[in-house]
Amino acid sequence: MKKNNPVIVSSLSLMAKQIIALCRKEWRTCIDTPLAYVIGIAFLVTTGFFFSNSLFLVNEADMRGWFAVLPLLLIFFVPAMAMRFIADERRSGTFELLATLPVGTLTVVLGKFLSLFTQLAVLIGLTLLYPWTLSGLGTLDGGQMMVSYIALLLLAGSYAAICLYASALTGYEVIAYVFGLVLLLTLFLLLQVATLFPPFIQNVLTTLSPVAHYQSLLRGVLNLGDVVYLLMVIGVFISLCSFELERRRWR
Amino acid sequence: MIYAKQLNRQFGGQHLQQGYAVCDLSFHVKRGEVMGLLGPNGAGKSTTMKMLTGFLPPSSGTASINGIGLEKPQAIQHCLGYLPENAPSYRDLDVINHLRFMGRMHGLPPATLSDRITEMSDVCGLQSVLHRRIDELSKGFRQRVGLAASMLHDPVCLILDEPTTGLDPNQIVEIRHLIRRLGEEKTVLLSSHVLSEVEAVCDRMMILDGGRLQIIGTQDELAQQAQGGIVLQLQLRGDVTAFEQAIKLALPACTFERTSKHEKTSKHKKTLEDSETFYISLRHTDGQAPLAETAFRTAVAHNILLLEMHTEQTSLEDVFHALTGADHEKK
Repeated sequence: MKKNNPVIVSSLSLMAKQIIALCRKEWRTCIDTPLAYVIGIAFLVTTGFFFSNSLFLVNEADMRGWFAVLPLLLIFFVPAMAMRFIADERRSGTFELLATLPVGTLTVVLGKFLSLFTQLAVLIGLTLLYPWTLSGLGTLDGGQMMVSYIALLLLAGSYAAICLYASALTGYEVIAYVFGLVLLLTLFLLLQVATLFPPFIQNVLTTLSPVAHYQSLLRGVLNLGDVVYLLMVIGVFISLCSFELERRRWR
Repeated sequence: MIYAKQLNRQFGGQHLQQGYAVCDLSFHVKRGEVMGLLGPNGAGKSTTMKMLTGFLPPSSGTASINGIGLEKPQAIQHCLGYLPENAPSYRDLDVINHLRFMGRMHGLPPATLSDRITEMSDVCGLQSVLHRRIDELSKGFRQRVGLAASMLHDPVCLILDEPTTGLDPNQIVEIRHLIRRLGEEKTVLLSSHVLSEVEAVCDRMMILDGGRLQIIGTQDELAQQAQGGIVLQLQLRGDVTAFEQAIKLALPACTFERTSKHEKTSKHKKTLEDSETFYISLRHTDGQAPLAETAFRTAVAHNILLLEMHTEQTSLEDVFHALTGADHEKK
């Protein structure tokens, strides 16, 4: 066992290096191309609208309404950020380049997910401006705010994994966007129509929907079950994405 | 260095018409050899290369590179540089960032990486465009970016799919020199549809058609195999019948043929002398047979004037056409 250790350590360190390399490449692409800026600005404008809406119309120094509307907003923004990640590689032929580098498919998907997630995290981080503004107007429950932001990041992460999978299904960015949108909308709408079903099915639907677990977290308690569920969604879709890419080679 | 044994790659699912992109392909490339892969469009050149790089799994058969089997694709990819067809690269990045990414994926430490990038951009003539975005570059430059990227980690073995497409004549010459230079220490497998290029660069070559290996060997071996041995063209004046009998006695396996190949030239000045001049082509299946020597000695012995004698040079074009053209004519 000891004999194998250096090999395992070196392959792990190579994997870590490759994930970092992938992240740096994706971030470089993100900075050098206009897509992310356009999406970022649109995201800030829309979230800003919903923030100021509740602030001025309802006259409340409170962000609960804002956090409640974000799952729906992210349904439109996350697929837009994620669509190029794998579809573009397939379309421009660089996937062949990537696949013939000494890197595992799972490593590639992990690197892609991490760069997408960090990009979304920066986008979400920019909205910290809103609670900062509020803190000048009244006292905020700092703990609840922190839990809500963690919940938001986890939700964005699960959306990211789902959209990455959608991007792996096709070589066309637009189709990847639509796939991602449909997958996310289905999960979201299932929760909305859950009340129409008998209690048993209603329970299943609520358990399966990431949004339900996000809403549960918004109450301000960092419930381990909800966190684990959202992390599991990320894990499942990363594996699905990796399987999909492997499967395509055998065609 | 590169071994392939009975590689097969099927295409088409159960409902579609099935076929083989590559069928029963076995060959081997020695260390430090430049091997050319020739064939018409759709012959299976790219598929073969994709299988060797571990990108496409073969339907059956085995291959190994540097002693590592295809079942360990990542180990293979560490010692392999691959330039895919059309040299894809990250078009949204500038050249240097693309090269950095490729090097980092091979796990090159930062110091080595910048040294290698400088070295490879010198070799491939990329210094002037290092900070330009790849999608602004011409096809030739992109090809060179791909070539530089494939050699960053100093692989022992290079697989290049049509490395010179889209290059201007000067660049083609440069890249050929580069490949020749690389071929002194590295093993190179390159595909091309430019026959002269393969002639100029490769030690050995193989021709694929319809996914099957048609022929493999050096250029001379290919020519000999294609024309079924060695062919000697003679022009002589004298008693041709006696000459034929003597030749057949000395070399029974040799075929003797009076050719009309030179008719066109002789039409212009048909003199009395010309009617006594004969054009003969001698063919022998064994390439090592002392055909020229025998022909000369026989001519001297029978007091025949030997005006011209040369071994026929079959060009690679002829070989290529003979081996790959037939199939298309049938269709």
